[in-house]
Amino acid sequence: MTNNRTKQVFTTGEVARICKVSQQTVIRCFDKGQLKGFRVPGSRFRRIPRDRLVAFMRENGIPLDQLESGKRRVLVVDDDEQIIDMFTDLLGKDGRFEVRTAVTGYEAGIVTEQFRPDIVLLDFKLPDINGNAVCRTIRANPVYEHMKIIMMSGVADPDEIEELLQVGADEFVRKPFDIKSVIERMTELLKVA
Amino acid sequence: MTTVVDSQPVHQGRSRERVELILSQLDRLPTLPVVAARLLSVTTSDETSVRDAVEIIESDASLTAGILRLVRRADLGVRSRGITVSRAVALLGFNAVRNAVLSVQLYEVFSRPCEDARTTAAREGLWRHGIGVACTAEMIGESLGGPGLGSEAFVCGLLHDIGKIALDACLPKSFTRVVEDVERRHVCVCDAEREIFGLDHTVAGRHLAARWRLPQAVVECAWLHHQSAGALPSSVVHGRLVAIVHLADDLVRAAGVGFSGYGHVGDAEEAAKALGVDPDNLTTLLERLPERMESFQELIGLGGDGNRREYTTSLAAANRQLGRINAKLSAENRRLEVRSACFGALEQFSERLSDQDRIGDVCVAAADALHGMLDAHRTVAFFADGGSRCVYAGVSAADDEDGTVLVVDQSESHGATVRDWLSLVPDVPRLVSAPPDSEHFWQQCTGVCADEPLWMLPVIGLNGAAGGVLVCASEQAVFRFQATPAECEALARAIGFAWVSARAHLDADRTNEELLDLNRRLGAAQKELVRTRSISMIAKMAAGAAHELNNPLAVISGRAQLELGKCSDPDSARTLQLIIDQTQRATQIVTDLMNFAKPEPPKPALVPIADLLESLCQHWRATSSLGEERLSLTVADHDVSVYADPAQLREVLGAVVTNALEATEPETVRLHINSPSRASDETIRIVVEDNGTGMTPSVLEHALDPFFSSRPAGRGRGLGLSRAYRLVEINGGRLSLTSTPAVGTTVTIELPAGAPTS
Repeated sequence: MTNNRTKQVFTTGEVARICKVSQQTVIRCFDKGQLKGFRVPGSRFRRIPRDRLVAFMRENGIPLDQLESGKRRVLVVDDDEQIIDMFTDLLGKDGRFEVRTAVTGYEAGIVTEQFRPDIVLLDFKLPDINGNAVCRTIRANPVYEHMKIIMMSGVADPDEIEELLQVGADEFVRKPFDIKSVIERMTELLKVA
Repeated sequence: MTTVVDSQPVHQGRSRERVELILSQLDRLPTLPVVAARLLSVTTSDETSVRDAVEIIESDASLTAGILRLVRRADLGVRSRGITVSRAVALLGFNAVRNAVLSVQLYEVFSRPCEDARTTAAREGLWRHGIGVACTAEMIGESLGGPGLGSEAFVCGLLHDIGKIALDACLPKSFTRVVEDVERRHVCVCDAEREIFGLDHTVAGRHLAARWRLPQAVVECAWLHHQSAGALPSSVVHGRLVAIVHLADDLVRAAGVGFSGYGHVGDAEEAAKALGVDPDNLTTLLERLPERMESFQELIGLGGDGNRREYTTSLAAANRQLGRINAKLSAENRRLEVRSACFGALEQFSERLSDQDRIGDVCVAAADALHGMLDAHRTVAFFADGGSRCVYAGVSAADDEDGTVLVVDQSESHGATVRDWLSLVPDVPRLVSAPPDSEHFWQQCTGVCADEPLWMLPVIGLNGAAGGVLVCASEQAVFRFQATPAECEALARAIGFAWVSARAHLDADRTNEELLDLNRRLGAAQKELVRTRSISMIAKMAAGAAHELNNPLAVISGRAQLELGKCSDPDSARTLQLIIDQTQRATQIVTDLMNFAKPEPPKPALVPIADLLESLCQHWRATSSLGEERLSLTVADHDVSVYADPAQLREVLGAVVTNALEATEPETVRLHINSPSRASDETIRIVVEDNGTGMTPSVLEHALDPFFSSRPAGRGRGLGLSRAYRLVEINGGRLSLTSTPAVGTTVTIELPAGAPTS
């Protein structure tokens, strides 16, 4: 199970276990093109990449908890270590979240690629590139279509907030924040019970 | 008594001082009678000089008489009738006349009476000695170079001992001692003089001759006549004359003619040889001397007994001359009287002026000056500036009132303006008849008709402007002055200068005032600029601070919230909640500051201001439980609207009224809305008055600064009024504060009146 959470490519047998269906069904879906994947070169073995599997499961209403352990992945991006520590503490103790952190926009990109977070808490002012640039890049990639973004900032210029929401942020939270309402906004966005 | 030679080094310092003293006293000596001095300076080279000489002699009545007598005595074969000085000069020759004049006048100097008989005798002896030397020198000169040289030698001889006169005049008592000393001890007179005065008569003579501006030859003879020809300095110009006088002096002293004190008598034969005179002739020369001296003295009426009849005749002739001179003088006197009146007026005018005078003041001063000078009934001085149609006028002072200043505006005048009739007046500074059209202006200024003819003195040189002085005076009064154009011109020009200077002063004044106003406006603009710049500084700082502060605030607040979630102890929970609340407050301060520096752009709309204020007042009364007597509203016109952002307007009014209610514990707060007078005023004024304790000027100055509060520190953030100011400003209006301690504060909000085109 632990493997499943980090595995990037699955066999039809693994997919059958994750989806709790027969391997034959998986093969049929693969061959019909409902489940996208590839065959191993030089053989007929079918392989399914992680994002295709996730997309298939979402399309067919199959719960993702076998694949994702039930915990929601959160990436916190902020150059202030104290803020990061606080979120790590807060979300770690909550129990419903798996947390990764980044302190620059560049690092945020790398971690996003590897960790594929469900939600990003993104500070606006970063040392290298601004949060809105990070936000725009994520939204330009259809793979991260379902990823939620909460922008955080101490700057409260209404024009800027409007601009952030324009480039694809789902929510704007002003620093300092009421922790409860932040968690509430996160669970609402992730539809976590 | 020490000898001269011994005493010199010992008393050198003292004697030098004494010499200085004597020389300085020489300056105070009565001059050689002017006539003689001038006569000596005139040469005989041409006709003009002879005429000059005649005039010089004629200017002195007694001298004229003397000369005329001289002609008669000379028995030149003419009758006394018709003799004039110029004829006498022609008959006798210039030099003879000059010598005679000089001798007569010098004698007057020599023969001052003295109580001491010995001194008087000595003076007479000196005089005889002088005449003797003069005659001898003349004879030597004639024998060497003819009558010309003889005449020159005569003058030099006559004046060679003037140094003695000088010493006698400066220090008569000491001079008496010299005379005594010379007689008792038989010392050389020069030595005695040096011993007693510190200098001898040759040095004194040189200075006196120079001071009297006598010819160079005379100066040199007076100085060097004791020197033998061989010992003369090379700088001497008239060495020959000096040698002649030296020889004559020796001869006369050897012959014992007159008195000149004792002294070494040089070798006359040697001196004669050096000069080129045959020594054998010297004896004949000396034989002729008494006769020559006698005839000369008789000639000038000093020696012999005067003929009474001749004396009377000459006196009569002199009197006639005097009569002529008198007639000339009285004519001159009349002319001078007019001049003096003119200059009196000029003086009076200048005395009245100061550098602060305005054009009107100068006009009155000019009018008064001519009023007095012409004995006029009334005078009006006026000045028409080049640019404007205004005429400045000054009316002379009447019996018991001061002069008046008028500014006559001719822009709407009917008939001829001042400039029109001024163009008819000739452009010369003379008293002329005033043009007929000036009568109207005269009446405008004085209020009465002219009861005598009107005259005018045009003032010229006004550099584009024009002006003059109108005079109402009799013909006789003006007539005298028409003959003296130069003096009137001086007066007219002086008035002109004063006018031009007063106008320049006026211009400078105006420029100054404009400059002052400009400075004031510049100062205000600068203040505003500083304020704007400080606000933009605050904006930048606030943006930076917001970011820097909000992260730590978020951490503090977030941690406190985390702790609060786990906390079961009520005390700790309260503390944590306090931390959370205060963090929130700190965040709000930063936000307010940012909003102040960079407020949201207004979204203006038509706001019916009366309705808005009425609903706001009700709201304030309800929330602060105030009666209408404490918070009153007066509306002049219910229909007016302002064009502003409604939300921001509410905030502004709220801030101002809250400030009025809270700041100074007032009894009442009154609001007025002044409706604009639509024609000219595009703004509506909302006035909020309280009768609280008011503000001192120093508090008032900072009342609009962000975070300024006169309340105790820690109460309120003090952004209310400054934010209100800012919001009114971005809505195109103005907020101003006036306050008087113990009376109250008034806030005036000016806002653009409702949409102009709706």
